[in-house]
Amino acid sequence: MKRTIVVLAAVAAVAAVGCSKEPLNHLTPEESRIYVTNHDSSVNFSSYKTYNLTDSVAVIDNGHATKEITATDQAYIDAVNKYMQQRGYVQVGKDQSPDLALTVNRIYQTSSGIVSYGDYYDYYGGYWDPYYWGYSGYDYYVPYGYSIYQITEGAVSIDMLDLKDASGSNKISLVWNGLIRGEGIFNANNADAQVKALFDQSTYLQTNN
Amino acid sequence: MKRIRNIFFVAFIMMISSLAANAQQKGGLKLDLNYNYSIPLGSFKNDIISNASPRGVTGDLMYGINNKWAAGLQLGFQDFYQKYPRDLYKTGNNEVTSAVLSNSVQTMPVLLKGVFTPLGNSGSLVQPYISAATGFNIIDFRQYLGEFGSSSNSAAFTAQAGAGIMMPFRKNSGAGFSVGADYNYVSYTKFGYNNLNNISLRAGIHFPLK
Repeated sequence: MKRTIVVLAAVAAVAAVGCSKEPLNHLTPEESRIYVTNHDSSVNFSSYKTYNLTDSVAVIDNGHATKEITATDQAYIDAVNKYMQQRGYVQVGKDQSPDLALTVNRIYQTSSGIVSYGDYYDYYGGYWDPYYWGYSGYDYYVPYGYSIYQITEGAVSIDMLDLKDASGSNKISLVWNGLIRGEGIFNANNADAQVKALFDQSTYLQTNN
Repeated sequence: MKRIRNIFFVAFIMMISSLAANAQQKGGLKLDLNYNYSIPLGSFKNDIISNASPRGVTGDLMYGINNKWAAGLQLGFQDFYQKYPRDLYKTGNNEVTSAVLSNSVQTMPVLLKGVFTPLGNSGSLVQPYISAATGFNIIDFRQYLGEFGSSSNSAAFTAQAGAGIMMPFRKNSGAGFSVGADYNYVSYTKFGYNNLNNISLRAGIHFPLK
């Protein structure tokens, strides 16, 4: 009887834990992405008429910046131009006193972590029971303690800066920002839809040219 | 949290193992194992997860005080999950985030429970019962905007009232089937939420441990 009870309890426990739904396993790449916009609410975006968009992308890798232009970067630049013009803004040269400056940036942040083999191997018998190798009842032995790993996270940001009022205030103010994070954001084929998402949720970006 | 969950169930199995051995000497112990289908209610349903959860189990270890009353311990596990279509969320003063929102809640009740069986050991093939329990739930609440998540582990006061019927496998047998429903009041006040109240529909088997 005791054996039956333990087996039943174990089956119930394994069924309960094993049947949990892991949210990250139920997301498509599109669903994994988030689009974040922020803006200066004191700004009237219809007061701007013209803009200039940089012809390359700033790649900010752990605080160090370089300029690049890959196919993906160009796709982002093209998409920003497209949706700015759909909202009535006119692209002009940098030397034609644009009201707004726009930049596209790729941002990478790398963080480090530590795998403690002591903790890891506490459960290793549960992942790979020594019985699997034909050594039932044996223990594992780990001769070293830690391993270091690195994770790099990426984001695309699009910044809109106020040049029209810069001379009066002695500063170039950020008036709008869009941020894209998640899987597949550096795929050129996704660029247009991602920039569209940022503009769709920023209905105040509109001028009357 | 998975580690807590695993420890929880190892402890559950060890407890049953030891009590099963103990029962050989003292008697009066009964184990009730159930599959649970849980339906969120109120603000849990409206604000967090509206989907019912078919992923749950409970185990009740009950001591028979007399023919009509039993008291014991309930342990369990229920997994609630829901993914909402992409929508806009205000995440700051002027900040808006477009995301697919996923909510994941696991509850692990640890309850002291009393059961009243009005027909006692009358030999009836259908034995109705009512029950009441109180204790706490270990709550693991994870929320994701896209693939970016946050989590919170906590314990929440829980009270439970239930009713159902037990049907012995044969007349005067201590073992049998049981079906019933439990209303669970789960006080949960994090992130501006009020509770994780739910109704659990249960079906399972029970048997004496001697």
